[in-house]
Amino acid sequence: MEVHHTDVRILMLAWKMKAEKQGYFTLEEWRRGLKALRADTVSKLKKALPELEKEVRRPTNFLDLYSYSFRYCLTEEKQKSIDIESICQLLDLVLGSQFRAQVDYLIEYLKIQSDYKVINMDQWLGFYRFCNEISFPDFSGYDPELAWPLILDNFVEWMRAKQT
Amino acid sequence: MVLHKFGEKLYSGLVATMTFHLKEICSSIEAAQGGLFLEELNRKWADHNKALQMIRDILMYMDRTFIPSAHKTPVHELGLNLWRDVVIHSSKIQTRLLDTLLELIQGERSGEVINRGLMRNITKMLMDLGSSVYQDDFEKQFLESSADFYRLESQEFIESCDCGEYLKKAERRLNEEIERVSHYLDAKSEAKITNVVEKELIESHMQRLVHMENSGLVNMIVGDKYEDLGRMYSLFRRVASGLVLIRDVMTSYIRETGKQLVTDLERLKDPVDFVQRLLDIKDKYDKIIGSAFSNDKTFQNALNSSFEYFINLNSRSPEYISLFVDDKLRKGLKGVSEEDVEIILDKVMMLFRYLQEKDVFEKYYKQHLAKRLLSGKTVSDDAERSLIVKLKTECGYQFTSKLEGMFTDMKTSEDTMQGFYANVGADLGDGPTLSVQVLTTGSWPTQPINTCNLPTEILSICEKFRNYYLGTHTGRRLTWQTNMGTADLKATFGKGQKHELNVSTYQMCVLMLFNNTDRLTYREIEQAAEIPASDLKRCLQSLACVKGKNVLRKEPMSKDIADSDAFFFNDKFTSKFFKVKIGTVVAQRESEPENQETRQRVEEDRKPQIEAAIVRIMKARRVLDHNNIVTEVTKQLQSRFLPNPVVIKKRIESLIEREFLERDKGDRKLYRYLA
Repeated sequence: MEVHHTDVRILMLAWKMKAEKQGYFTLEEWRRGLKALRADTVSKLKKALPELEKEVRRPTNFLDLYSYSFRYCLTEEKQKSIDIESICQLLDLVLGSQFRAQVDYLIEYLKIQSDYKVINMDQWLGFYRFCNEISFPDFSGYDPELAWPLILDNFVEWMRAKQT
Repeated sequence: MVLHKFGEKLYSGLVATMTFHLKEICSSIEAAQGGLFLEELNRKWADHNKALQMIRDILMYMDRTFIPSAHKTPVHELGLNLWRDVVIHSSKIQTRLLDTLLELIQGERSGEVINRGLMRNITKMLMDLGSSVYQDDFEKQFLESSADFYRLESQEFIESCDCGEYLKKAERRLNEEIERVSHYLDAKSEAKITNVVEKELIESHMQRLVHMENSGLVNMIVGDKYEDLGRMYSLFRRVASGLVLIRDVMTSYIRETGKQLVTDLERLKDPVDFVQRLLDIKDKYDKIIGSAFSNDKTFQNALNSSFEYFINLNSRSPEYISLFVDDKLRKGLKGVSEEDVEIILDKVMMLFRYLQEKDVFEKYYKQHLAKRLLSGKTVSDDAERSLIVKLKTECGYQFTSKLEGMFTDMKTSEDTMQGFYANVGADLGDGPTLSVQVLTTGSWPTQPINTCNLPTEILSICEKFRNYYLGTHTGRRLTWQTNMGTADLKATFGKGQKHELNVSTYQMCVLMLFNNTDRLTYREIEQAAEIPASDLKRCLQSLACVKGKNVLRKEPMSKDIADSDAFFFNDKFTSKFFKVKIGTVVAQRESEPENQETRQRVEEDRKPQIEAAIVRIMKARRVLDHNNIVTEVTKQLQSRFLPNPVVIKKRIESLIEREFLERDKGDRKLYRYLA
């Protein structure tokens, strides 16, 4: 299909198929997804990809894809968090095209901070909200006294220190 | 005449006649010279009044019939009005009267004696003529000229006097004016003239007085000048924001001195002295507020908030207050009467109340209490108990339940020992006597589990105790806390001197080794006793390097213990006391690293408390926004410590991760409780 396995479109495909495990598609999931895409040949599948991309971009769907992408990376049975390195890659993959600047700085920060070695779902969701709701790079409207995850409070503080 | 309808004629005739007559009187008054002016006026006024009375009596019929129906002024009133218009308001008399009155008052202010009776009559006359007459023809000017006078005088005073003197003078002037009014002015003038004095003498110079160098408020406070302070208080109270000024200056001074005290590194080296100084400061200000500021509640509050402010500037205050209490309960209260003990403990409680970090105090108090109980070094059991009761009243049962557990353990251990000797005593023979305290793990401060090799001489009795205890208490585990015990050893030295040495358990282990040999190296001791290195070094230092307590001799004679050192039994040891105390189980101010450690433990302890508070609140409220959670948690915990909002946030996130809470899907500012 000429799509690289680290391409975000694979992720989108997996989402559409509601695939449980990264890297694997069960037969059921495969069937379900292809049915949803109305594709029964490889070429039709290829053609369906741009449509899929557009579908994903819709806000409600995107949020769904976004939280799905986190779960998709959990490999162990009771795992709840993902290590920083993988999170950085995931951020780049999923949000990179939409929020380039924020993602770059966020990744830089995540790599140098030492408070957190893993990120949980709550924090992951916080990242998306942050990119969506807070203007960049001034961060006006960001209030650390509200319910933002602490890691983002620290990120904003770090950014502000850099800016002065 | 009225009956014959000639009322009008009679009336107008009266007016004319009286007017004419009064004009004559006027001239005669005007003619009076100097001081006689007032007297003449007074006399003529008295005459006039008498005449008026007579006239009224004579013309009573007219007064009652004609005048009301013709709407004319009644006779008496007419007489007064005419007096007013013709005499008082005559161009010559009006100003002269006013000037004379003011001159006399001024004279009296300068110390002259004036005829007060005369003055009273004149002012009464003015009042009789109508209060507006009194006000317009006298009072208004009186107030104005008084204001001018006092303005000048206050300027003079402030240049030449110090604060205390100035206040005395101001007070004197104020009292003078009040007295003046009561003697010869109308009562309603009192409030007005006192206002004038207050404004000119006090209000205009308030700031300058309070801040006056070398004599202002701060100097008075430092010098405990109760009288001056009292005077300042009662004078300034009369003026708007006068007391606020005093209170603010006092407050910033207290905060300043307090801050200096808690950051003075030299002072902080002696915790007991430090806390004593705090108490002294509180006493000083209590006395000032009591004797000079009539126990004004707002001042009390200002004092309390200042103390709260600076005591919490130093994070070691809780530790120091506990050390102070420790000192008192170990020796300071020896021989003190029961009531005085209560007074001191109440003062300690007062300081305790100011602490923001009460949980830190609890930690230290527990440690120090443990040392006191275990070394048997408490002056009065009653005093200990009394303080626990006070803490319980202040903080609730939970705060003191563990402390009480410690006391219970001590009592129970006594009973256990009795049982032990009753049961096993016969088998013991001549060996050493043992006294054991069995400590319940939860109640006592957590100790690192350290054991060492106990000397053979006591091993057997220790084992017997262990067996006895476990025999009567199944399912329990006993561990010897060798770092907390004491021992009394009988020692004989070179020339046969006998001494009784009171030592710690570790010291005993070391010393007993010398029963078999006179020389041991550090390594040998370490191996034989198996005491942890840092404790062993401290132990050897106390046995070999302290003058008067050197039962061991060290080579080389340096102060520090090196691994290569050798130790000898000191044959030549002497002491004038039979009983020599070498043990080191006394509570001391922590070193920096120890302090850090304790602080860390406190922070760790706080996490579950914060989480418990969050869960309690969310369980009750179900849904709540972030700010409100922080506020509620702070409120719930404030009797123990002030939680850090960042820590609260972290705990919330941890609870979210563990699925006790979740973020609301709609409004992301809210948290939701998950049942």
